Amino acid sequence: MNTTPLPLSERLAGFAALLREHGMRVGPAEQRDMLATSLHLGSLDMDRLAGAWRAIACSNARDWRQWPAVFEQYWLPHRIKGTVKVSGQTRPRRDLRSQLQQMHEGMDGDAPSGQAASGSADQGSSDETQATQARAQGGAGRGQPDALHERSAQMWMPQDLHALQLLARQIQRQLQSLPTRRWQLHARGRRLNLRATLRRSVAHGGLPLAPAWQQPRTEPPRLFILVDVSRSMESHAAFFLRVARAMAQAADARVFVFHVNLAEVTPLMRSDSATVQEKINAVTAGFGAGTRIAHNLMEFARRHARAQLGRQARVWLLSDGFDTDAPEELAQALQTLRGHGARITWFHPTRQAPASLAVRQARALVERFHPLASLADLARARPYLH
Amino acid sequence: MDAATGLPSAQALRERLQGAAYLADEALATSAWLAGTLERPLLLEGDAGVGKTALASALAQVQSARLVRLQCHEGLDLAQAAYEWNYGRQLMAIRLAEASEQRLAEADLFSRSYLMERPLLQAISSEGPCVLLIDEIDRADEAFEAFLLEVLSEYQITVPELGTLRARQIPLVLLTSNGTRELSDALRRRCLYHYLDYPTLAREIAIVKAALPQADTALVEEAVQFVQRLRREDLAKTPGIAETLDWVRALHRLHPQALPEDMGALLLTLGCLLKTREDRFMLTPERTRQLIEGRRSVGVAEKG
Repeated sequence: MNTTPLPLSERLAGFAALLREHGMRVGPAEQRDMLATSLHLGSLDMDRLAGAWRAIACSNARDWRQWPAVFEQYWLPHRIKGTVKVSGQTRPRRDLRSQLQQMHEGMDGDAPSGQAASGSADQGSSDETQATQARAQGGAGRGQPDALHERSAQMWMPQDLHALQLLARQIQRQLQSLPTRRWQLHARGRRLNLRATLRRSVAHGGLPLAPAWQQPRTEPPRLFILVDVSRSMESHAAFFLRVARAMAQAADARVFVFHVNLAEVTPLMRSDSATVQEKINAVTAGFGAGTRIAHNLMEFARRHARAQLGRQARVWLLSDGFDTDAPEELAQALQTLRGHGARITWFHPTRQAPASLAVRQARALVERFHPLASLADLARARPYLH
Repeated sequence: MDAATGLPSAQALRERLQGAAYLADEALATSAWLAGTLERPLLLEGDAGVGKTALASALAQVQSARLVRLQCHEGLDLAQAAYEWNYGRQLMAIRLAEASEQRLAEADLFSRSYLMERPLLQAISSEGPCVLLIDEIDRADEAFEAFLLEVLSEYQITVPELGTLRARQIPLVLLTSNGTRELSDALRRRCLYHYLDYPTLAREIAIVKAALPQADTALVEEAVQFVQRLRREDLAKTPGIAETLDWVRALHRLHPQALPEDMGALLLTLGCLLKTREDRFMLTPERTRQLIEGRRSVGVAEKG
């Protein structure tokens, strides 16, 4: 067996590929800088090297937060007790969760169990039984055959994808830009900017030959989408993520997934890779049992989006409302978001809005609840999303 | 000292920053060192008050470099950021030439002597070492970001009437952002990146001790613990390091030993930490007492 270690440049190329899998923008220029840095610092001091490479490879706060885990995964795998392979597929621990979930389903009886037990949502199976079950969940027994666009999220045809993209663009156009207190120069403005006009006139000997006009500055709404990817949402998460992805591409939305933790997946959502679901699995590694909606909303408000939450912010929460946090905490978290001026819309996979105690207490803080189990639901919700 | 670049090593830079009363952790010192070594801008992101701007001042101080600061704002344009022709002087020169019946060539009018240098051009033109701080870049418009790309990647500014002006000495460029707007990918790719979070308890104590060595240790520790707990509250404006320093300075003058027992006296000083009416209203005497004692919320017994 050949035990000769690979040259650093080759190992670095593998590392760069892993970083790209995690949504980081690492190209040849970054690899070259990383290699140059390792020559400067020496490759023995891994901690210092990790710090230097972090500055080169990361380009935003999301990259910055996930760096330590990705670095250890590749360079120091012996330190990891981990649950995720490089490919992003989960190890058998997930089976334990699956068994626990089945136990819960056995106890609850009314949980959306059939599909969750029969396979993952992103396998693209066209099994008719699955589709029927999904319709039963999404359509809540409407007792009529579904049209093509009403079909379950698991069966995606090109025309469905096209319809989703079209809907996303329509919604994006509907999101109304709000005027701010600021004015900006504009050729067709209706108010004279005296200061700028005087400034320009200096170039013409003091004659105002080039008047500067201004109009109120408008800002488009900032859309944040938070997708619940907990076990109870397994059969719906794939569809929700497709919607989130369409909105990320059409409306520049920031997308987060949460379970017991919160992670931003916006860069993955904006890529056109067909394996995006697998990458999201890798990002969401470590998510355990239970859904902490209130905790994650607070985390979102305080840490991830604090500086961007304002009256132009729209927060879409895609969740079934099952929360393991104390019931009153959800209202507090939503109140925090509302306190920043954000408008909250809650999408739920069932026909009826979530009726848990936590959601009932927080109902007044949510602008609208919308069922979302198919494209038709999204189309029905469209007029209200502005 | 790095033999290849002549710059101090990351560790040496860290020690020098410490000498300038800026306590950088190893990662931040490495990022700053790397920015100098690779001659690439460093983008610093983080909440307001975590020490982003102070790093630029400290770097300029330890490198005996000139600090050039460009404060970004909405509507910032080329004329305010890079250069502007001094039209007044040009007109005067034309009139003087007409009066003395001299011939004035266009090249005479559009020369460096009629060019008013704004921060970007000042940094590019600097003869000696220079630290260019582009502060709160997220407040500037997207169009300005596009202009910055040339400056940050090539360290040059193109003036149509003069040609391209290249940097005589590559400045150390620091950009700061509070994250109020997403910056473009193109800008991010040209920069090294460092996310500055609020300091840990131990580090913040060390920062305060370094800045206010005369303050009592017990007072500093109690005050910093309080601020760290306060940051976990749902505040409209989270206090930064500067606020901590202001508060400890105020406390030191009032009560040199430790945090006062009297809530009334303590609350009077909280204006150093809390900058909005809502935050001030939220921090009742009872909540303040809980934070001092290290309790996060009202206990069950107290509820009853």
